[in-house]
Amino acid sequence: MKKKTKQYLTMALAITMGVGLLQGCKNNDTPKPTNPSEVQTEGSSKETQSSREEADTKLSGDVTFWHSFSQGPRLETIQKAADAFTEANPDVHMTIETFSWADFYTKWTTGLASKNVPDLSTALPNHVVEMIDVEAIKPLDDLIDRIGRDRFAKAPLEEMTVDGKCYAVPLYSHAQVMWYRKDLLEKYDLEVPTTWDELYDAATKITKGENGAVYGCSVPLGTNDMMATRYLNFYVRTAGSRLLNDDNTANLTSPEVIDGINYWVKMYKENSPKDSINFNVLDQATMYYNGTNAFDFNSGFHIGGVQTNSPDLLDQISCAPMPTVKKGDEQKGVETSNIPMVVWESSDTQDVSEAFIEFMYQPEYYIPFLRSVPVGMLPALPEIAEEKEFLEDETIKKFQREMEVISKAVGEGTAIGYENGPVPEAGLLISQGIIENMFQDIIINDVPVEEAAKAAEDKLNEQFKSLS
Amino acid sequence: MKIRKKKKSPGTVLFILPTVLLFVLLLLYPVLSSVFYSFTNKHLIKTRLDMVAFENYASVLRDKEYWNALLTSSKWTLICLAGQFLIGFTAALSLERIKHGRTLFRTLLIVPWAFPTIIIALVWKYLLNGVSGFIPNLLLKLNWVSAAPQFLSNKDLVFPTLVFINVWFGFPLIMVNVLSALQTVPKELYEAARIDGAKSGQQFFYITMPQINPVITLLLILRTVWIFNNFDLIYLITGGGPAGLTKTVSIYAYEVGWGLKSLGRSSAVSILSLIFLTIVIVILLQLQKKTNKNE
Repeated sequence: MKKKTKQYLTMALAITMGVGLLQGCKNNDTPKPTNPSEVQTEGSSKETQSSREEADTKLSGDVTFWHSFSQGPRLETIQKAADAFTEANPDVHMTIETFSWADFYTKWTTGLASKNVPDLSTALPNHVVEMIDVEAIKPLDDLIDRIGRDRFAKAPLEEMTVDGKCYAVPLYSHAQVMWYRKDLLEKYDLEVPTTWDELYDAATKITKGENGAVYGCSVPLGTNDMMATRYLNFYVRTAGSRLLNDDNTANLTSPEVIDGINYWVKMYKENSPKDSINFNVLDQATMYYNGTNAFDFNSGFHIGGVQTNSPDLLDQISCAPMPTVKKGDEQKGVETSNIPMVVWESSDTQDVSEAFIEFMYQPEYYIPFLRSVPVGMLPALPEIAEEKEFLEDETIKKFQREMEVISKAVGEGTAIGYENGPVPEAGLLISQGIIENMFQDIIINDVPVEEAAKAAEDKLNEQFKSLS
Repeated sequence: MKIRKKKKSPGTVLFILPTVLLFVLLLLYPVLSSVFYSFTNKHLIKTRLDMVAFENYASVLRDKEYWNALLTSSKWTLICLAGQFLIGFTAALSLERIKHGRTLFRTLLIVPWAFPTIIIALVWKYLLNGVSGFIPNLLLKLNWVSAAPQFLSNKDLVFPTLVFINVWFGFPLIMVNVLSALQTVPKELYEAARIDGAKSGQQFFYITMPQINPVITLLLILRTVWIFNNFDLIYLITGGGPAGLTKTVSIYAYEVGWGLKSLGRSSAVSILSLIFLTIVIVILLQLQKKTNKNE
């Protein structure tokens, strides 16, 4: 081959590779229509007026749905609902992507800048307030009205309302309650504790009696989760105080909070495995599932965990309302999680997403979804709790009393820091590990409680400033 | 004699263009964007962005936690590096001497390196769990201890435990590379040295070390950077705790960037780490130059 021909060939190859590279860098998503009306009338230029009118009511377009229901049964029921929806709307194409809650948070926060967010997704209550703050999601009042505003419990809707607009539709709820082991209470001749002091005494008796085989009450304090904040909040709320002041500054130095810190430090030292200083939610739950923790705080999800890990223990577990500080005080729910669905502002197919949410609440899809984690996911529509099909689930029948305890707590509690409505400070309160670090400092470095609490409070307030 | 400079043809330039583009996109862009963001108040999810000059750097350098994290990272890097080199080097020298089964031993010793970090972290966390972990319970059963050791929550044990895991995980890379380098040293040099009466130690320091020095320096630089920036192993096992005892600069940067969502400050931490590591690498290269000159 001649030298010149070789040069031309090299050039052609290099240009081809360069163009290929640039093409590769291009977003290869098919262009989406820019607004719902374009979605509806897509490809309708040759249609007659009447068929165009028909097309206007017909749903079409691509919907990306992110959810965090990674476990088998929940995933299957969601998939079934999506399949039925796309079958009823053949011009709709749904792409479902599943992430754990932790990955989900990273995904949407990083995706927001590159507009790589879904059309529709689930969310955690503390995510919702952040999403509203950056105008990432759209108000859904029209959709809520279409489904029936009165059909929803009031509290979850209020929790997602900012400036009179509700930005999310609650899908299910659960609440934190105190779980215990009936066999251990019987063995040590103990009553179900109703106060924090009774809980401490019962836990101490079991810890001593079991000699390391079972711990009375594990206290999870790991910095890569928010469990210590959750436990402190239990105590503080039942003492009538809050972790946020009315002006949304941090409150870690009031007498009720100091009492709470002292209480959990004492409980950790006497009745918890030393390793629980690094425990996250899963480490903590696993102890109860395996039968090595006598008292634990969690939602109805605990039933499924015990059923999977230690089916023999299933007859021995039960739950009770949150203990109180003083004997005789009314036992109330403290922490409720209302898991909602949201529609993203940047979506081109918001109408399809809203239609799917509406579709999900039909009993033939909604009840199987709730029954996929019986007692764990309580209906956002209270009327469903009365449905025969919902109540005839074997686990729900077996844990009817526990479901009543949790349902009552759901109606009384809020997300941590949301007692006066959704505020972004609540997100920082649970996500920074500052309260977890404070506990670790007290235990590991022997820092006096008041000093550690003041330092943590200052640090939180410093971080709250970043919100403005 | 005149040396004619060879002209580059346009084809050559176009041919290397894809590589240059890849370099710019994948390497230069992230670095430059980090530099840019470090001078802004870039928030993870907010779109508004203002220039803040050196405010991020000042606030990071004022933060006591940053200096603690830098100290922990430096300790972590030094001790892990020493451990990995000591064991990796010893294993490589031993394998070099083994006549039979060298491939089998090499394969077995490289096993830790073959696992993803997440698996390593979770397995070790499970093995060392103070309640149900295999190792604390084994020690208890053997009556070597009176109470189950709390490897991950005791303030005196947690850091050495993490160092041990990292050394166990990282030494195979050193071993494989040193072994490969050892096999390239000409055998004639040793024969000549032996004829001249050189002892084993002299052979090691005057023949082996100078011959494999370039590989050692490269490994030293790469491992320094990797160990210093290690995030996943520590974060997955202890999350930087308890009480910040295992919080390294990487975990600090993650907490600032993803917890506080302050990408501006987090970028400043990254740039400070980049500067710190660059200085360390320059020092290492200077030391290697000096060693080469002496040899």
